[in-house]
Amino acid sequence: MFKRFQQADWFTRVSVIWLFIVGLCAVFGRALPLWNPLESDFESLGVGLGSPNHFLGTDSNGYDLLSNVVVGAQTSALISLVSVGVGGLIGATFGVVAAYRRGRFDYVVNTVFNIFLSVPNLVLGLTLVAVLATSSDPSVPVSVNRRTFVIIVSLTVVIIPILGRIARGATLVWVNRDFVVAARSMGMRDKDIIMKHIVPNVLPAIYAVGFLAFGVVIVAEGALSLLGVGVIDGVSWGSMIARVAGDYEFAPHSLYVPAVVLAITVISCNQVGEYLRSRLDLREGKI
Amino acid sequence: MTSLLSIRDLTVRFETPRGLLVAVRDVNLEIPHGTSMGIVGESGSGKTVMSRAAMGLLSGSNVRREGAIFFGEKELTAMSREEVRNEFGTGMAMIFQDPMTALNPVRRIGSQLAESLRVRLGLDKKAARLRSIELLSSVKIPDPESQLEKFPFQLSGGMRQRVMIAIAISCNPKLLFADEPTTALDVTVQSQILQLLSELRRDLDMSMVLVTHDLGVVAGNTDYVAVMYAGEIVEQATTVDLFANMKMPYTEALLNSIPKINSQSGARLRVIEGRLPDPTQRPSGCGFAARCSYVQAKCTAEHPPLVDAGNGHLYRCWFPLGNTIARKQ
Repeated sequence: MFKRFQQADWFTRVSVIWLFIVGLCAVFGRALPLWNPLESDFESLGVGLGSPNHFLGTDSNGYDLLSNVVVGAQTSALISLVSVGVGGLIGATFGVVAAYRRGRFDYVVNTVFNIFLSVPNLVLGLTLVAVLATSSDPSVPVSVNRRTFVIIVSLTVVIIPILGRIARGATLVWVNRDFVVAARSMGMRDKDIIMKHIVPNVLPAIYAVGFLAFGVVIVAEGALSLLGVGVIDGVSWGSMIARVAGDYEFAPHSLYVPAVVLAITVISCNQVGEYLRSRLDLREGKI
Repeated sequence: MTSLLSIRDLTVRFETPRGLLVAVRDVNLEIPHGTSMGIVGESGSGKTVMSRAAMGLLSGSNVRREGAIFFGEKELTAMSREEVRNEFGTGMAMIFQDPMTALNPVRRIGSQLAESLRVRLGLDKKAARLRSIELLSSVKIPDPESQLEKFPFQLSGGMRQRVMIAIAISCNPKLLFADEPTTALDVTVQSQILQLLSELRRDLDMSMVLVTHDLGVVAGNTDYVAVMYAGEIVEQATTVDLFANMKMPYTEALLNSIPKINSQSGARLRVIEGRLPDPTQRPSGCGFAARCSYVQAKCTAEHPPLVDAGNGHLYRCWFPLGNTIARKQ
């Protein structure tokens, strides 16, 4: 594992380290001795970077940016891990089985994937959130946990066709290979052939695109917050951006800090995904 | 005489955008217990499709298979998918043409070998490992224990084909289909593999269907030969009889296109001119008429039936070889 890491180029290494730090923040962020992310420091409203009490400054409401960024990593990590994980699992299962069985089942699955893919990610997510996250009584606000859950569900639905199509395409490459026919000719069950012969060959493609999907999900969370349907009252990178969007001329760094952190994270995800794709995309010629 | 495998009126069609493609037409074959049958023909003659269809391995919504296939007493074509699956491995098995693609590149040899042993024979992990070592040594792979840990790309082509054979014979099948088992190998390895197959066939009391384009491969290794052309059997006899009294001009042409060791150096290799007829639009007469050097008017007009010359030697020709009176040169 470490050897692999050493072989990678510096960009990939930096990306991996960055994602590792984000991961640490997500797990231990709340335990760090930082300001409460949702408590205003009225003594220092909108102070800039490098202030004595606030390393990354505060926004115009006095929220500490460092603690928001660190704790917000948890929300981003939770949303992206769960939606890509669950969406990937569901999508890949349908994609692999559809490509293996072909016929009508494949036709239906592929058509459904295409219909979902034809709707832009954000529009689809926005629609789902709007439908799912409204309370029947307008005077009762929707809780943060429910909003987070709805966003995860919506982004999972966005991810399913993306990874499902990748899995289907990758399976089509392998399903007519001689070793699959050979396994059938030895009387292996379809289930075993899929699990032992198809999946190990398809996984690399799913890993690679999965990392790219992390980026998509993180951006989507931010965009949904900006549109007012994200984790508005909670702590997340998206809600940080949304909160200060109105008055960033007074404290521009309060917009830049979460935006830059979000951008670096997305770029890191893309870089790692791209690296995995180039490394795992083994053609027979290379073997 | 009971046959181990009998194929009756097997026809395989593929639906293609250009129309119905007939890959195999009205093939009848009987493979008796303990014998080996060679299926010979050039590329595209339908021999691979025929053998895969016989095992029921052709999948896809565009495949149309007609006819009946009996394996021993059981009619494979009337059985459910699950019942047919139960015959695979233990009843019949197949060795594939290209050992480079017929092994899963991302799994170790050991796990691929143990797979069918565990699933089909129900061996536990330890027993499967011991049996795998035994199988690898039976196909004469040196140091079998350490080979189990290797990936396919770490083995040579000949070694991989031996592993394929080990996998195919792992559940003691009664019938082994060998689909061009030596095509991807060089000539010296080829003879080793063929010898190995013959030995295994004798030791394990298997029947074998050896599919190849090389009459030379068939000559020393099979009891019967069926020559296929454009999806049909055009000549069928015991191997000895076929080489002694060839009836079909196509068989002769195949034999003539094998390079001779005593031919003048620099001399052109002999080929069969022309190509196979388009399988979607079959000529009305003999399929080989366009390429036959003895072609006559009747050949292009009427499709010749499969005729028995007595002693079970079948051929599909209006003017068979060795019958000079009927033929005007």
